[in-house]
Amino acid sequence: MKLNTKLTLFNTISKLVIVVLFVLLLPLLITKINLGYTDSKLIEQKEKVLQIVKTLGIGNYITDGESYGSYTLLKEEYISLDEVAADEYLDTILNERRIVEGDTIEYRILSHTFKVNKKNYLLEVGKSVSTLDDTSGPLQNIAFQVLVSMILLTILADQVYSNYVLRPLRQIIRTKLNSSRFPYTDSYRKVRTSTADFQYLDISIHRMMETITDKFQKEREFISNASHELMTPISILQTKIENMFVEEDIADDLKVRLLEMQRILNRLKSITKTLLLISQIENEQFLKEDEVNLNEMLHDVQDEISIRLEQKEITCNINVPADVALQKVNKFLLFNLLFNLINNAIKYNHEGGSINITAQKNTANLILNIADTGIGIAADELPYIFNRFKKLKRSLQQDSFGLGLPIVKSIADFHRIQIEVSSEKDKGSVFSLIIPAAILKG
Amino acid sequence: MNVLIIEDERSLAREVDIFLTNNNYVCEVAYNGRTASEKISVNLYDFILIDLGLPDYEGLDLLKEAKASNPEAACIILTARAEVNDRITGLDLGADDYVPKPFSLLELQSRMQAITRRKFGLKHNTVALGDFQINLTERIISYEGNVVTTITKKEFDLIAYMLLHKNRTLTRTQLSEHIWGSVVNDDYDSNYIDAHIKNIRKKLNAFAPPNWLETVRGLGYKIVANN
Repeated sequence: MKLNTKLTLFNTISKLVIVVLFVLLLPLLITKINLGYTDSKLIEQKEKVLQIVKTLGIGNYITDGESYGSYTLLKEEYISLDEVAADEYLDTILNERRIVEGDTIEYRILSHTFKVNKKNYLLEVGKSVSTLDDTSGPLQNIAFQVLVSMILLTILADQVYSNYVLRPLRQIIRTKLNSSRFPYTDSYRKVRTSTADFQYLDISIHRMMETITDKFQKEREFISNASHELMTPISILQTKIENMFVEEDIADDLKVRLLEMQRILNRLKSITKTLLLISQIENEQFLKEDEVNLNEMLHDVQDEISIRLEQKEITCNINVPADVALQKVNKFLLFNLLFNLINNAIKYNHEGGSINITAQKNTANLILNIADTGIGIAADELPYIFNRFKKLKRSLQQDSFGLGLPIVKSIADFHRIQIEVSSEKDKGSVFSLIIPAAILKG
Repeated sequence: MNVLIIEDERSLAREVDIFLTNNNYVCEVAYNGRTASEKISVNLYDFILIDLGLPDYEGLDLLKEAKASNPEAACIILTARAEVNDRITGLDLGADDYVPKPFSLLELQSRMQAITRRKFGLKHNTVALGDFQINLTERIISYEGNVVTTITKKEFDLIAYMLLHKNRTLTRTQLSEHIWGSVVNDDYDSNYIDAHIKNIRKKLNAFAPPNWLETVRGLGYKIVANN
């Protein structure tokens, strides 16, 4: 889920929860507010009555010991004044039921006793509670509607703002992470943002890319220098062994040992040469100016390798249209790529097996499939087959130093050819070269 | 033939010297660019082997000098700097061949022979082996006038290489380096040479037994020839 979506979702949910809580609590709040309001109103009325009594005397309400009472028309409010026993004392505001003309009505009642002319009077001021509750329903409704529409408005605003504020992040993801290709050679282009976190992220990603590229460059240089430096000592050893080999006074058993040395030196030479080749490819020291007919080149490779095919009695079928040609490639490298792939298809094949080479032309590319009927590659080893010096189980039985497929990979990368491998243990492997239209001729 | 070996690695220069001297070349060695430059301006050579990586001299400058004062000489560049640009520049400046280090002495000699054939015109392009005739320029082997058509390119390469180094045992490593040297390969042990030799024998046997192609037990193969 995208950050933007997440933020909006969280905002919406949190606001909704708060609004629902508020609306649910609203009656309680209203009751409390009303109660406070009613109570102060009752006290006000009490004060008014007491004021009247003070100025006009109690006789204004009570004459001849008769009690005074007054109701509004619908009995929502009433006032009563009564003479009570001298020792009674009350000053409360309580909810109480009263039966008024047959109706039971709940009132909020203020009871207050006061003395006038040595007589004790009880004043009651009441206000019916039902009139209070009536208001909360519609209030709740209106509040809910108003708040929800306000939420919608804020969500819209949030959406617009977060979209704006997250734009640099999207730009960093798009330009720095998704579209850049290793090794990173593009110069640093700052992402415009006033958000400090994004500025930090941008510069950090850039620094990391720089470090990786730098380390990668150093490794390349090291391999290139090391293999160069090894060439001269290998050369000296090789010539010395060759010269010793023809000395007349060297016994045959010594010659056999010299031969062993020669073979081992040759292995060292192959490894060094291969590493040097890979580093030269990676440093782009090869030109890509050749044109190559794919079918012809495959047949050339087949000729070159025919003795190995013969020895294992493997049939090699090349079904590639004669008119498929590649341009802007390096012939020497491409030959080596195909040689190594076909050589592997022989090496890891069964006696009497076969190799099928087919081409499939699409609009955007050409896929060259090299399929063998060999021992296959175990699924857990598939991800590592292009790693240098990786000794896979299957190559242990073969004389191989684990650089065949790394060469293939380097050459393919150099030409922007993708490689896909599918394999089933004991059934065989298919190496697919996806050749981009850019290097296809015609 | 006179050869000037310009190589600052004394040990390597000495081995090349020994090898070429044994093969009837007259060698001189220069261990640095200054000495080489002097020698080039004074003497005439048939071959000049130039190591590009000299500490005191730009190897390609030496090549220019050699071309100026020894225009007839064949220049072969020896280098560990196997960069493509060097190769192009070297050949542009008139080097006749380019042998990247590490090289086999046999390979070096084979390149020198090829240049000799091309440049100086070899009189005996056809060599007799038993009853077979080997034509090195047309690259065919024939028996009493009939061309052995079954011999492949690789098989002829092997015969020609052994013929060039006749009476010398060539190891499987040396042979496979010659015929597969240009392919960068994952295999370090080539027993395919045996299969090639077997095929050659079988194909030639159809005409006459090629007794001149000998197996040297445990070591390799050689072609025995007197001429």
